[in-house]
Amino acid sequence: MDLFANVALGFSVALTPTNLLFCFLGSLVGTLVGVLPGLGPVGAIAFLLSLTFKMEPATAIIMLAGIYYGAMYGGSTTSILVNIPGETASVVTCLDGYRMARQGRAGAALGISAFGSFIAGTFGVIGLMFLAPMLGRAALRFGPPEYFALTLTGLTLVAYLTQGSMLKALIMTALGLLAGSVGMDPISGEERFTFGSLTLRDGLGLVPVAMGLFGIAEVLENLGATGTQSIYQTKIKGLLPNAKDWRDSGWPIARGSVIGFLLGILPGPGPVIASFVSYAMEKRMSRYPEKFGTGVIEGVAGPEAANNSATAGSFIPLLSLGIPTSAIMALFMGALMIHGIQPGPLFISKYPELFWGFIASMYIGNAMLLVLNLPLIGIWVRVLKTPYTILFPLILLFCLIGVYTLNSNTTEILIMLSFGIAGFLLRRLGFEGAPFILAMVLGPVMETSLRQTLLISRGSFAIFYTRPICAVLLALTILFLTFPLLRAKKNS
Amino acid sequence: MKRSDAAVSVILIGLAGFILLESRHLSFGTMRVPQTAFFPKILAVLLLIFSGISLLQAIIGTKSSTRSEPLTAEGWARIGATLATMVGFAFLLERAGFFLTTFFLMVLLLRAIEAQRWSKVIGIAVATALISYAIFGWLLGIPLPTGILGI
Repeated sequence: MDLFANVALGFSVALTPTNLLFCFLGSLVGTLVGVLPGLGPVGAIAFLLSLTFKMEPATAIIMLAGIYYGAMYGGSTTSILVNIPGETASVVTCLDGYRMARQGRAGAALGISAFGSFIAGTFGVIGLMFLAPMLGRAALRFGPPEYFALTLTGLTLVAYLTQGSMLKALIMTALGLLAGSVGMDPISGEERFTFGSLTLRDGLGLVPVAMGLFGIAEVLENLGATGTQSIYQTKIKGLLPNAKDWRDSGWPIARGSVIGFLLGILPGPGPVIASFVSYAMEKRMSRYPEKFGTGVIEGVAGPEAANNSATAGSFIPLLSLGIPTSAIMALFMGALMIHGIQPGPLFISKYPELFWGFIASMYIGNAMLLVLNLPLIGIWVRVLKTPYTILFPLILLFCLIGVYTLNSNTTEILIMLSFGIAGFLLRRLGFEGAPFILAMVLGPVMETSLRQTLLISRGSFAIFYTRPICAVLLALTILFLTFPLLRAKKNS
Repeated sequence: MKRSDAAVSVILIGLAGFILLESRHLSFGTMRVPQTAFFPKILAVLLLIFSGISLLQAIIGTKSSTRSEPLTAEGWARIGATLATMVGFAFLLERAGFFLTTFFLMVLLLRAIEAQRWSKVIGIAVATALISYAIFGWLLGIPLPTGILGI
């Protein structure tokens, strides 16, 4: 089937009334999640995962993807108007976006952010459309040793890219892998670390763990430091950027789209890193770098484009290799596996209607978001004014109901609360949740591929450096592990 | 010495020891044919090593321990009250039913941060319990526990 036939197939799936409705709902919820500080996209997707069980797989993934890129769009609104990022990828937008709002240019900042996001999001989807099938075909040559090396490199890179201490990230990775080994052995079926619990026999559920680590922990953090937030009171006008705004933002959007897409493919918090890299690049290339941070439109356009393009890029390793590269992608993997679908090299050829339907829905979703974010900006500003005293009980209630309805089991609620407490305390001590959740999802893949590799090689580890792909990946792993040590030595 | 980092490291070392102890009942296999305990034991040893390094760093005091601002007693009290309310929700849900448990959860949480007017609190709690029951129970058809009120 050629590209056009595939795209036509995709639109025939995405344009069904049900899928259109859920694409819209996903984008709407995503924007809401992005706008409201307190529940990030990971928590929201974890919560809504339980509602997708009864949906068709295409509908489920279309809605969840809408939440993901919707949150990227919505996150900029709070950055610009309140100086509080709705989610991490919008942190950098605060620097110039909020300054623009204070200068009475909130409309231009919001407008360029939405248009930049739309252009970059569309670019990212086109990249995904071309690159994912190519990588999928290449990955067909991967065997268990390559998969083990790939998961190992991915986890190490995530630990390397974590904002805080790499040692702490490695500890979280080890803990996540151990959490992934709870339940039945993927090869022999023998029970491990279940302590006689029927709930633990199927392993620790991704939803209660993710909701605890990201949703509950986030709320507890906010409760501990409750402060009042004020919205910058300004009349938002001129949402359509003028000719000068476009001239200033054109190249930053183009560069942000490319950088974002490429960084999104790499393991780690792609959209976050992409936005920071784009900002740094724009500042370096600018004729007036000293003005960055005082309200220049390039400082909004580039990062906002980059974080949206990165969302599309981050789907590539998951859909073509079956390797999630971030906590959100781990949840997407969980969503597909709940429906009996294994993402990986055969995914695109086995489920063309799902892959191309998803691609087409992203085009449609990006267009919907433009409408949701610009003409409806007044509504989002009003939503922003919801007091946290009312918001946080609702978030917690939905987390509790969401986890309970998975299996009508209150033990799952207790698991979520345990991970919420652990996540909150660990976060305060500088331990990030993302390496944990990623390792937990990749654990069974990693264990199975390692044990299969040793069976193939009759217990010899030489197989890892005699196969070229493995050797390169392991060399990269060693590099990521030793680089911080070398840097520390150089600094001292 | 960074006390909090040292304490976490000791707990993690204990956890790694516990996993190694628990894995004794499982078969390790050989390098040629690895079995159930193979992967967890390797991970437990890695955790032991990483936590040991972290403990050393904490004792020498080379790394910063926390990155967050210390919480006030009031902040801890809010967190404690919220957690206790949620644990109560988990224990009461199947006994008292969805509506009543949700109602009391909302009442307690709405007053957890600041004392709001009772009429407002009860109004929001009733509305939330009814709307969430309508969405999950009726619209999505998810079986929710019924209590003395029948919903």
